[in-house]
Amino acid sequence: MVRREFVNKRRERVAVRTRVTACLALGLAGGCYEGSQVSATGDSSGGAAGTDPGEDESGDESGGPEIPTCLEELGDGTTLRRLTRFEYNNTVRDLLGTETFPADGFPSEELANGFGNDANAQSVSSLLAEQYNVAAEALALEATSTPEAFARIAPCSSGLDTADTDATDACARSFIETFGALTYRRPLEDDEVEALAGFEQGLRADADFTSSAAGVVEVLLQSPDFLYRVEHGFTDAQGRRRPTSYEMASRLSYFLWGTMPDDALREAAAADALITGPQVLEHAERMLAAPQARAVVRFFFDNALPISGLQYLERDPDRYPSYDAQVGASMREEVHTFLAHEIFEGAGTWDAALTAPYTFVNETLADFYGIEGVSGDAFVRVEHDPTRRRGLLTQAGMLAGTIHSNETNPVTRGAFITRALMCTEIPIPTGDVAEEVTPPDPDSGATARDRFSKHSEDTACAGCHAFMDPLGLTFENFNAVGLWRDDENGVAIDASGALPGFGEVAGPLELIEGIAASDATHACFVTHWSNFAYGRTADDADACTQQRLIDQFEASGHDVQQLLIGLTQTDDFLYMAPAEGQ
Amino acid sequence: MAQKLSRRAVLQGTGGLAIALPWLEIMGTARTAHAKEGCAKRFVTVYTPGGNVTDDGQGENRWRPTGTEDDFTLSSILAPLDPVVDKLLVMDGLAMRSAIGEQHQSGIIAWLCGTPQGGDGYAQGPSVDQAIASLISKGFPRKSLQMAVRWGTGKSHGLLHPINTVNFEDNENFDPIPPRLDPQAMFDSLFGALDPDSGQDFEARLARKKSILDFVDRRFESLAPGMGTADRQKLEQHLEKIRELETSIGDLPVPTDICQIPERIDTSDYDPQTGLNSTDNGSIVDATTDEAIPKVGRFMTDMLVMSLACEITPVASLQWTDTEAKHTFPWLGLDQHHHYYQHDGGFRPQECEQIATWYSQQHAYLLQSMDAVEMEPGITLLDESVVFFGTELAHPSTHAKTNMPFMLAGGGGGIRGGRFLRNEGIADDSHNNLLVAILNLFGGDRQVFGSPEHCTGPYVGLT
Repeated sequence: MVRREFVNKRRERVAVRTRVTACLALGLAGGCYEGSQVSATGDSSGGAAGTDPGEDESGDESGGPEIPTCLEELGDGTTLRRLTRFEYNNTVRDLLGTETFPADGFPSEELANGFGNDANAQSVSSLLAEQYNVAAEALALEATSTPEAFARIAPCSSGLDTADTDATDACARSFIETFGALTYRRPLEDDEVEALAGFEQGLRADADFTSSAAGVVEVLLQSPDFLYRVEHGFTDAQGRRRPTSYEMASRLSYFLWGTMPDDALREAAAADALITGPQVLEHAERMLAAPQARAVVRFFFDNALPISGLQYLERDPDRYPSYDAQVGASMREEVHTFLAHEIFEGAGTWDAALTAPYTFVNETLADFYGIEGVSGDAFVRVEHDPTRRRGLLTQAGMLAGTIHSNETNPVTRGAFITRALMCTEIPIPTGDVAEEVTPPDPDSGATARDRFSKHSEDTACAGCHAFMDPLGLTFENFNAVGLWRDDENGVAIDASGALPGFGEVAGPLELIEGIAASDATHACFVTHWSNFAYGRTADDADACTQQRLIDQFEASGHDVQQLLIGLTQTDDFLYMAPAEGQ
Repeated sequence: MAQKLSRRAVLQGTGGLAIALPWLEIMGTARTAHAKEGCAKRFVTVYTPGGNVTDDGQGENRWRPTGTEDDFTLSSILAPLDPVVDKLLVMDGLAMRSAIGEQHQSGIIAWLCGTPQGGDGYAQGPSVDQAIASLISKGFPRKSLQMAVRWGTGKSHGLLHPINTVNFEDNENFDPIPPRLDPQAMFDSLFGALDPDSGQDFEARLARKKSILDFVDRRFESLAPGMGTADRQKLEQHLEKIRELETSIGDLPVPTDICQIPERIDTSDYDPQTGLNSTDNGSIVDATTDEAIPKVGRFMTDMLVMSLACEITPVASLQWTDTEAKHTFPWLGLDQHHHYYQHDGGFRPQECEQIATWYSQQHAYLLQSMDAVEMEPGITLLDESVVFFGTELAHPSTHAKTNMPFMLAGGGGGIRGGRFLRNEGIADDSHNNLLVAILNLFGGDRQVFGSPEHCTGPYVGLT
């Protein structure tokens, strides 16, 4: 019998998270936790090149943070990034002015890094190829359905005498050049224009100009130059490969706005002025300050936090009479409003977001929380009860969003903290342990601590659950809709405990302080943002860049805007992997 | 316009663009003979959720037939399949050894792939239907077809997820394949929104569509060679799908004695995307869509059968919802979702039996429909095919994946129906061996499919 290795490039990449070995063999708490591989005090094991100020353009002239080179690191896997559904919708909106959202009907991306934009985990199914075709046809039809609409994408079409072949040929060519450049996000080469012009004339021979122009739109929207961010790059004077100005324009616009470049970026690209760190920095700062950036920040948190489904969250109305779908939807908006405020108007740090003594509520939520003096749909800032709530983690949406039933679950709440917030990887039970696992009977204990006691009593379970359950149990004063309770089934809740990595805590507020003070929390935040920005799942090969970003984040006091700007100043962003064979 | 549908070769690139070899070819030992003498010609997989009533709480297996291999009686759950029992092979006693982890999802992943879940939760190899398609789909307009009824419930929120994916591409990444959900869109795609009887206009519109796709094809071709390997492969993978689209729009089926385009029914009461609006615990009920499940299931089955008969594809997969199965059954008078009866509300064997029996009726409809199509004198579509009925676990309340309630049907590759294979106490009960044997029905002499450590030689006894 032939045994073969499973070779799978995608799954060879192990996430750069604190690695937790399978606990079943050892069954001991110590055996499950290996400790941090990347920390803010930094073993920079990434083998970074020296920081030569003469060579490194990214730090000097701007006076901004200096990030030494991590160039050797570049070059693992594909760099070809396909537009996600979020990006496709935004792009056709900006390109065509459409108010349809065709990508909502596309199959979802593979989750991979949590944002659906991991370039190594994107594939095209037959269904998706068909839907690109159908969407392109519908969009092209919409864009040419009236003279006004057509004039929007082809101004020369208004007043055009289509019987005049020469004039129509000229208009077609000019349309192909301008609209094509917008769609491909770069000027078209002569041979590309010729090919499209020939194609358009062929269509026009059997139909009219409206139809042939629509045909051009259809092919452009299905072309790889549109659907993918193609980067050929160029080699600079120092022999390093980097994106062209047009390619950099797309890197900036898709990272910070989730859409195609705007006029300012296009102008800068045309002047070939989007190459150096300072040139990129100027646009990055402009774009982060613009309202379009809010959409990306919202998208990021919708995927990084358990809140995107809150408007569909349902609970037993008998047990939770004050909760309904409107409350759920408002909970999600509370999180987004609060984070947008923190990042763009407030202190701006991730610490502040985790420990703020206030939140934002509208009337629906104020009634729900029992806060007085708030009316209407607008969100206003209110102070928390400082003995009970602090920061993001005690917002009802965060507490309810991790719970999938009417009962609280310390495992899902704890797992969110350890895995999503602090990037500690905990494996699911396998093999012999898996055979013995039976979910607890929901009625088997007065409190969650009782119900889930098997996890701490049984050594096979404790190895991993010791890192999740105690954290989740610390939040037991918050019920399944995120409201405060002092007891469960008549038994007083004890939210204190000895938490691995945090020591003794009296309750959630201390744990939150501990989370905010932990290096792992901030390293994890950086990892998520860089995964999103670079369309990857960071692994050991990215250690150099990761370490630099983490150090910079630490030095800035965990400033989120500076992190986002900093992401545009790394070698990862300013350079490309060398071409194959170089 | 009564010409017989002709098969066309898959378009090959003109610029030396190689399509990456499927995984199976790299494994070696495969004969790529297409429709070789004696080999099965078509393959269908049918998924139903939550196992079956393999233990009613009193130790009785309500699914299992009674009797011996050749002389057996179907259980009441399986009784609806009696009209086709001569072409049915009840396959008991196998275990999904490659399903690691107690949850449902390890089962749905392992069912057709024979591998544990990888780090991203998906399979670590192709699904057997895709491996078969790599062997037999050359020349067909579409390599394979996947469809699902009332899919994306519960925790998946309507999105592709390891809890609802059964098909995985036969390529380097074993990419998960999203099923088609919209019956109207599927009808348009398979049988043509373009009405072939509208004469010149149809020809003109078809020509336009083809020339658009052809231009896109050439654009991919001209771009790819200048890129690095990984990028090029990504584009090639996309181009493969575009080419499939090109061939399929050109080869719209034409009615013949064998190929009868199904009647299009009104499914406006059915929201194929209703899963997007689902809660983890299934508490949001879309009663209108649920009511339409039987009608849509039947319509999709009709389209599946005709896709095979019209030779649009030789490989098709049908999913009845997913492992969450969080929809109700109003036509059965059941107002909770399936998962509730599996264990969320405590195991309810009676309701589970009701549901399982209804699924048997749907399976019978599929098999009878296939048996009613005569591909050649005396040989029906079912005779040339292999149909594999499966699920992600055997017992819903314990999640046990031993004694799996599998079934096969058809006559393709010499598979012999009319038998009940109990497989009691056999030493090599890994279902990977069954996957190998199924694959070999289509040509080939493999020993391994999925994770090698769970393969101990092809299952013997199908033919």
